[in-house]
Amino acid sequence: MELRLNASGTPDLSGAPSKMSTFDKNAVEESIRLKESSGGSVTIITVGRSDARKTVKEALAMGGDRGYLVVVVAEPDPHDSLTTAYLLARAIERAGPFDLVFCAEGSSDIYAGQVGPMLSEWLALPFLGYVRKVEIKDRVIRCEQTLEESVRVLEAELPALVSVVSEINEPRYPTLLQIMQASKKPIEEVGSELLIDRRAPPRLVTTAGMTAHAMSRKRVIFEGGPEATSRKLVEALRSEGVLKR
Amino acid sequence: MPLFKPEHRQLLKVLHPAREEEVSEVLSGLAAFMEEKISPLSPRFDSLAEKITSARKSLLENGICLIPYPSRYGGLELPFSAYTTAIELAGAADASVALSVAIHNTVADGIFLFGSEAQKKTYLPGIISGKKLASFSLTEPASGSDAKAVRTTARRVGREYVLNGTKMFITNAGEADLYFVLSATEKGPTSFIVEKSAPGLEFGEDLPKLGMRGSRTSEVRLTDCRTSAENLVGREGEGFEQVKTMLNSSRIVMGALCVGVAQVAYEKAVTYSKERRAFGGRISDFQLTREKIADMVTGISAARLLCLYASRLKEMGLEFSSEASQAKVFATETSVRVCDQAIQIFGGLGYTSEDVHRHWRDARLLTIGEGTSEVLRMLIASRELAKSL
Repeated sequence: MELRLNASGTPDLSGAPSKMSTFDKNAVEESIRLKESSGGSVTIITVGRSDARKTVKEALAMGGDRGYLVVVVAEPDPHDSLTTAYLLARAIERAGPFDLVFCAEGSSDIYAGQVGPMLSEWLALPFLGYVRKVEIKDRVIRCEQTLEESVRVLEAELPALVSVVSEINEPRYPTLLQIMQASKKPIEEVGSELLIDRRAPPRLVTTAGMTAHAMSRKRVIFEGGPEATSRKLVEALRSEGVLKR
Repeated sequence: MPLFKPEHRQLLKVLHPAREEEVSEVLSGLAAFMEEKISPLSPRFDSLAEKITSARKSLLENGICLIPYPSRYGGLELPFSAYTTAIELAGAADASVALSVAIHNTVADGIFLFGSEAQKKTYLPGIISGKKLASFSLTEPASGSDAKAVRTTARRVGREYVLNGTKMFITNAGEADLYFVLSATEKGPTSFIVEKSAPGLEFGEDLPKLGMRGSRTSEVRLTDCRTSAENLVGREGEGFEQVKTMLNSSRIVMGALCVGVAQVAYEKAVTYSKERRAFGGRISDFQLTREKIADMVTGISAARLLCLYASRLKEMGLEFSSEASQAKVFATETSVRVCDQAIQIFGGLGYTSEDVHRHWRDARLLTIGEGTSEVLRMLIASRELAKSL
C-alpha cells in the first residue's frame, strides 16, 4: 500500500485497511498454544471502533474461544495509552475470572509499549515484559525476558500479565474452515462509556499532531575524475561532521 | 498490493448479497495466507530454485479446495464463484501452484459428480483437504480435446481392470497419489481412479516448459496397470460425457487463474509506469501508456466478470458450457495480451526481467491446456449455430 501524506504532512490513512498488530498476533498465538498444551480457554479482548470486530474474529479463527470488544465511538487517541489500558482492565474484569493475560510488547503502529505495564498496574498483577519463552508449572509462570545483551529468567505466581516479543513464536494462519467456524463464536460488545467510572484516569495525553519527517537533500554534485571526486566527497562529509578527521 | 481487493468483494456482493460477508472473510483469510506463504516464493518456483511441493500442500491444507463441496465430505458449502475467485487469487500469488491445485480439484469435481457414494467417502475428503494429491490423466499423444479418440485401453479381468496406454502432458504426474484416467473399454471411453501404488503405473521425466515451471508435467504410462473394479467411475462408456462436464467447470477455473496472472502483471506495470521517467515526465503521463493501462484493466474486469457469470450459471444448475468456453477463451487470451503489454510498458527491463516476463510465459499455457482456443471457439460456434434465432 502506498503511503500518502496530506497537505499538512499527516499520513492519509483513508482507504488503508485496519489489521491486527503483528505483535498482538504473537500474543494470541502464545495463548492458544498454552491452551492446546495445558487446557483452559482463551478470551480475545480489544478496544476499538466497531470495525475492530473483524480483528476479534480473526483471533477467534486462530483458536480463541470467545471475544470481547470495547467499542469506542471515536478512534481512541493512539497516544492515550492510560485510557486504553484502563478500558482493557475493566473489560478483563467483566469478562470473568482469568489466570493469565497476554499482550504484545507494543503495537505495530505507535509502539509506545505502555499499555502492558499500565494494564498490569490497573489489574494489580505481576508484569513480565518482553518475554520470548513461557512455561507454566504448578501455577507458577516462568518466562525468558529479552534484554539488550542478555536473557533474564523471571518467575511469578498466577495470575500474571505477560507481554511478548515477536520471536516467541510464529503466528498461525487460520484455515478457511476455522475462519468460517469463528463466525459462530460469541463476541460480546460493550460501549466504552459503560466502563468509564469514577476511578478512570484523566486524559493526560492528547496527540497535537503527527507528521512525517521532513527530509531535505543537499543535491551536491562533484565534478572530475574518480580520485578528485572521492577527495571532495570525503572533505564534504568531514565538513558536515559525518566523518571525523 | 493485497490479493483480495474491493472489486472482488463488490462482485461477490452482486452475485451473493446474503453470503458476501462470509465469503469475503474466507477469501481475505486465504489471501493473507497466500501473500505470506506463496507469493514471495513465486519467482523461486519459476527459476526452479525451489519446488512447489510444500507451498502447495500448505495451501491445500489451508482449505482452498474445500470451498465448493458439501460439509458431509468436509467441505465449506460456499458458492462455486467463491472457489473461482480463490483460484484467481491463487493465480496472482503463483500460477504454477494455482494450476496444480486447480487440476487436482478437477478430479475432486469428477468424483463428486460421477463417483459412487463409496468412492466419494473414500476419496473426496482426502483430496479436498489436501491429504492426497490428484492428477487428471486425459491427454494422449494422439488425443486431447477429442477425448472420444482415447487409445488407452481398459479390459476387465475378474475383479480388476487392466489398463494399457500412455498419457501426455499430465499435471501433477508422479507427485499425485491418485490418477483419474480416461480409458477405452468396449463400450467406449470410461473413467477410472488409479492409485499411485498400482502395479504397472510409471511416469516420464518432468518436461521443461516455457512457463508454469513450478508445476510438474510428464507422461503417465500404464503397462498392464491394475485397478480394482470398484474404481470404475460411473459405468463403462460414460467417460466422455463425464470429462466433458469436468472440463466445463475446469475451463471457468483456468480462465480465472489467468485473470489472476493478468492482474499481477498489470499491477507491476502500473507501478513501474509511475516510477519510470522519460522526457522529463513519468511514462504514466503519456497517452499511449494510459491507453495500454485502460485496455489492460478493462480486459481484466471483463474476463473476471465472464468467469463469474459462468460460475453463477453453474451454481444455479443452468447450462453453462458455452459460457465456460467463452470465459476461458476470453480470459486466457486477455491474460496473454495484458502480460504482453506489461512487458511493453517495462521496455527492455520487461524483456530481460524474469519477474516481468514470467507472467506472460505462465499465461501462455492456458490458451492451449484444458481445451485450445481453437477447439473452444468451435464449441462456442456450434452452440450458437444450433440455436434457432
